[in-house]
Amino acid sequence: MTDETERLTSEIIRRETHSSRAVPATILAVLVILASLYLMLETALKALGQDPWLLAPEDAAGWVGSLPAGISPSVLAAAGALVFLLGLFFFLAAVLPGRKARLSIPNKRAAVVVDAEVLASSLARRARVAAGVTPDQVLVTIGRRLVEVQVRPTSGIPVSAQVVQTAVEDELRRTAVDPVPEVRVAVAESGVIGQ
Amino acid sequence: MNQTPRTLNRILLALFGLLLMAAGALAMALSTPAVATWWQSTAARAGGTIGGVLESTTLPGQRDSWLWIVAALLLVLLIILMVAWVANQGKGRSGTLAYDDSDTPVPGSVTINAAVAEQALKAALSERVDLVNSAVSTYEFRNRPALKVRVSPRQGVAPDVVADEVSALVTALDAALGVQTPVLISISGGARTRFTRAERVR
Repeated sequence: MTDETERLTSEIIRRETHSSRAVPATILAVLVILASLYLMLETALKALGQDPWLLAPEDAAGWVGSLPAGISPSVLAAAGALVFLLGLFFFLAAVLPGRKARLSIPNKRAAVVVDAEVLASSLARRARVAAGVTPDQVLVTIGRRLVEVQVRPTSGIPVSAQVVQTAVEDELRRTAVDPVPEVRVAVAESGVIGQ
Repeated sequence: MNQTPRTLNRILLALFGLLLMAAGALAMALSTPAVATWWQSTAARAGGTIGGVLESTTLPGQRDSWLWIVAALLLVLLIILMVAWVANQGKGRSGTLAYDDSDTPVPGSVTINAAVAEQALKAALSERVDLVNSAVSTYEFRNRPALKVRVSPRQGVAPDVVADEVSALVTALDAALGVQTPVLISISGGARTRFTRAERVR
């Protein structure tokens, strides 16, 4: 791989494992467009010397300036809280890291990203085979630093947590996800019957 | 790896988010009398200033200030900018995989259409039984063409095996085309993998 391709590849991995914030951006843009359309209509009517459609701009400004007069305090506070929460949603979307549930696998040629869901199902398969249980009895949750494996053994047939742990760790090592998470296996106290 | 303006998204979201938060906080604080008095006096002063400006910009013989026309035009501009912002989300699909118009060794230009790589990879991937679905598309990333290969393996298939085999296909494609483009292999889940049977035999 040339240097240029390598640089672009690592940039692609970063972009693919982080959110682009396209959805909140589009929501915000639509809200701004709707508000601007209404304001533009009223301003244009004013500029043309026509009667206002709903509320003349000066009247609206005067009403805002005279707040909290003419409105019940609880309604004002509730509206304020709503606007604040909307603002907080957009602000948090901007400042939080926005990591996606995806992991990257080192590869010599390409940028490889795996959905956590896909890796979880492959780990679950290894854990299931190691424990000798059916697919419904294994639950794998993948976090950034921790892989949790929950096994509910079939009643009367003991499952060794150590064996499952070794199998899952082996599978993780083969996958070589970066960074390597820690594995924690929990075998349920009570078994299931009828499997 | 599309051309979504990520930095712009973050800046604008933070900016409008802060504005909305400030407006909401002010509205909530207005129930306290001290804030209410301050707000009313500030608003009255600002209203007086704006009224003066509107008065001084009213041309003789006209009823209203020409600033209203400017305001309407500025709003049109804002709407256009917002539409452009939305239109840039997820942009970047391209139809060219490689292009060369250098005069060595012979003058002329060579263009390799994106469909070449897309169809070659798609054909190779569609034969595989451990994949439910695959899609190949070409993007223009940092002014260079880049390939995106999205595969959805069946439940329980090891992702590293899929990654190795797809990247072997990509290496073969490199050799066939003579150019090396950045490649993204995205191994994803999805509704279809959840409702199809796990692969038992390979």
